Amino acid sequence: MRAPDIRLRPMPGRRVVATPQALDAVLSAGWPEEAVVVLRTAPDEAVGVGARGPLDGLIAHDRHAIDVEESALAGCWLTAAELGALVVPHLDWPLTAEAQRPALEQGKVAGVPAKLWLAGAEDPRGAALLVVNRVYAAEIAERLGVAW
Amino acid sequence: MSGGSIGNAASSAGGLAGPAALPGPAAGVPAGSLVVDGVPYAISPGDTIAQAVVRAGDVPGSGGPLCLAGDCPNCLCEVDGEAYVRTCLAPARPGMHVRRHPATVGENPPLPVVDLGDPVAAPPEPEIPVRRAWVDLVVVGGGAEGRAAADAARAEGREAMVLDGADGIEIMGVYPGPGVVAREPGGMLHVMADEVVIATGAAEIHPVCPGNRLRGILTAGAADQLAAAGIELPDAVVVGEPPAGAASGAGRRVPGTLVRFEEDEARPGWVGAVVTVDEAGAETRTPCRTAVVGLGRASRDVLARMAAGPGVVAVGAAAEAFPMPPVPVDGVVCPCMGTTVADLEGAWERGFTELDLMKRSSRATLGPCQGGVCLPHVRSWIASRTGVVPDPFTARPAARQITIAEAAADVTVDAFRRTALHEEHLAAGARMDRFGGWWRPWHYGDLHGEYWAVRSAVSLGDVSTLGKMIVTGPDVVELLERIYPCNVADIRPGRSRYALVLNERGHLMDDGMILRDAADRFTLTFTSGGAASAEMWVRDWAEAWGLDVRIMDRTASLGAINVTGPLAAELLARAGLRPTPRMMEHVRTEVAGVPCHVMRLSFTGEASFELHHPVDRSVELWRALMALGRDLGIRPHGLQALMALRLEKGHVMIGLDTDMDSTPRRLGMDWAVRMEKPYFIGRASLARTAGIPDQRRWFGFAMDGEVPPDGTPIFHDGEIVGNITGGWTSPLFGKALMLGWLRRGEPWPTEVQIGGRTATRTPTPFYDPEGHRARA
Repeated sequence: MRAPDIRLRPMPGRRVVATPQALDAVLSAGWPEEAVVVLRTAPDEAVGVGARGPLDGLIAHDRHAIDVEESALAGCWLTAAELGALVVPHLDWPLTAEAQRPALEQGKVAGVPAKLWLAGAEDPRGAALLVVNRVYAAEIAERLGVAW
Repeated sequence: MSGGSIGNAASSAGGLAGPAALPGPAAGVPAGSLVVDGVPYAISPGDTIAQAVVRAGDVPGSGGPLCLAGDCPNCLCEVDGEAYVRTCLAPARPGMHVRRHPATVGENPPLPVVDLGDPVAAPPEPEIPVRRAWVDLVVVGGGAEGRAAADAARAEGREAMVLDGADGIEIMGVYPGPGVVAREPGGMLHVMADEVVIATGAAEIHPVCPGNRLRGILTAGAADQLAAAGIELPDAVVVGEPPAGAASGAGRRVPGTLVRFEEDEARPGWVGAVVTVDEAGAETRTPCRTAVVGLGRASRDVLARMAAGPGVVAVGAAAEAFPMPPVPVDGVVCPCMGTTVADLEGAWERGFTELDLMKRSSRATLGPCQGGVCLPHVRSWIASRTGVVPDPFTARPAARQITIAEAAADVTVDAFRRTALHEEHLAAGARMDRFGGWWRPWHYGDLHGEYWAVRSAVSLGDVSTLGKMIVTGPDVVELLERIYPCNVADIRPGRSRYALVLNERGHLMDDGMILRDAADRFTLTFTSGGAASAEMWVRDWAEAWGLDVRIMDRTASLGAINVTGPLAAELLARAGLRPTPRMMEHVRTEVAGVPCHVMRLSFTGEASFELHHPVDRSVELWRALMALGRDLGIRPHGLQALMALRLEKGHVMIGLDTDMDSTPRRLGMDWAVRMEKPYFIGRASLARTAGIPDQRRWFGFAMDGEVPPDGTPIFHDGEIVGNITGGWTSPLFGKALMLGWLRRGEPWPTEVQIGGRTATRTPTPFYDPEGHRARA
């Protein structure tokens, strides 16, 4: 399936590193800003895709936390059909069952490091958010047949 | 199902003699036939290729016993252009074009010749589909043992997948994970599982004796299979354990132990008699046209030996320790490679007495069947010499022959990263190349022009590929003091220091900068190629030491542009950076309206400022600087120019100039190591070896003329004493400048020969040794 109408776009956000306890405390109810997709990439790291400002309350929980603007993300929302046709054939792992979503999956898509955020069933934005670092955007776009 | 018989072809010459030729036009070929070496063979329903050929009284392959179970190489053919097809497992189809592979006995096995035509003009091969599956259990082998394992798993609610040859599945390999890669009808199958059960059963022992390459020899299992298919076994004799299935009543039993097979004088290449010996040593010669041998079995364990470890278990006969076959005394042991018993003896006499060495020396077990036939015999032969049966060796994929297209199906090469300036480089005419995991501009078409722009004006270099890391926390100073061999605590905020990264042995792993942002916050940089390892290195040690720090990798999140040259400060002043930081200072400010972390350092030998900035602003910053510097003669420089510039400064490039055992002392970089520190990684090793004279050292060299290629050996007194790691014919010096290693210890020669010319060992830096220009 070639899908030139699907386009990877820059996705602004914030990247934070703090103690796992601090991140747990601050992110337990999600990112304070609306419509931010939280990618908990590691116990001590999270990325807020769509976040515009610092993560409220983080420094209060961990004064050594690192909270920076992240402008290196690119990605796109996919429908369930697009996910199945474009991405799943290039995965080395089974997708998380729908009942256990939302869920973050990290690995290589078509050999390119990527993150796949599988949305809950009711999410109006789509079934999944494919996120890559911009340094890989052109490469994954070529391999998946999408635009960048 | 039509009848037929082995060895009853009116003439076997068409299939076996003379050069194999591609089949001609189909005129005259009976409908529903397959064609082997130009000879049509009728197909009966359910036939494999091998059965169809045997039914017609011929044999597939070029001779030797047939097992018809996929274990031996004796029925391998090229089928429809694909080499090494096991015709005993491949269903026969009308129109198939089959070619026998050449015989191998007594000579190196020639590779099958497949006419690929013009690979450029040929249309692309269709993509081979890959089916991926994730299950709890994979069972290899659909026999009783395999089915039992699958049933037991399913009874526990686990998902089990059974892979069996009867379904047209051939296993290529079992990998740690565990995972299984197989060929299945229509494509490839990649399965990941929690557990892999190998239930592949046992294979029949092949005879090793004189005459064992003749046609007309069958294992007992093969005889059963042919009989069940309605194929007659004419004038058969049975040696050893008789067939237990459909052929159980076939043939005359021949008592005694097998000694040799004899050729039928009336049918060259075919068996004509079996010779056995009784316990008293008396030989009996029994004429026959078909010889059936039942010599026992051996574990079919190649897949179990491939991924022995967690999650992989062999069951049943595949895990059974069968008795070794009799010690072979003569004849071909390995039919794939043509290895004879005499070859084993030759290897033994040369000292290759262990199984692995015997394997490599005699090449037994290295052929298409991967030891399926010969491994039990080789083990038995070694045991007869040592008294101990050697353990079989670890098997490696692929267990079966696989085409490049199948192996590459859905396999992707690692992605190389592109900086945000990739398109800018292309637009500027750059020749891009892969370096350190990134696409980088090698040059922009004018190496010397780029070089002179740096030396005499101002130039931009894309150094976004450098490793970049933020480290904070109450223990950050403690961490960095332990990681780095230089002092860290005395670096003041706003200042920076060049630093080496050593491993526990004191060998150089990487280098970069330590920049202090605040009392408890640092920015670290690493080389482009070493960034990923450096990040893991810092993280691992922080965790191992239990230090309270936060680490964030910013390598791909920040762009970086190096502004370098005597007019760099002028350019940056135009872009709003005033005053410029002094050498080794760093500031956070805006340059041309873009927020930057400006670092003053120098790799080129000229005043240099690295501008680290959000990667989405790279193009904007690059274009602004290029526009502001137009009247200053600005132009970008590529990696090739950078390597020349740094060479004139004698700066080391990790991985290019260094080896796995390069120490700071060998590189002449003791100044970057503070042995007075109580601890840093590698200190103990450096202290232990401090009193040992250097056996190698990295020096600079200069000579007239053009520079020789990197790697050129260095001679002294007619002996090789080192090699060049990098060189450059400097237009500034009018000489070839080189960096390289000298061995053989002190005194270090002052004159050497490089590329047939005399070169002088020259102190580095070659250029501006006092560093005035970098600090200007």
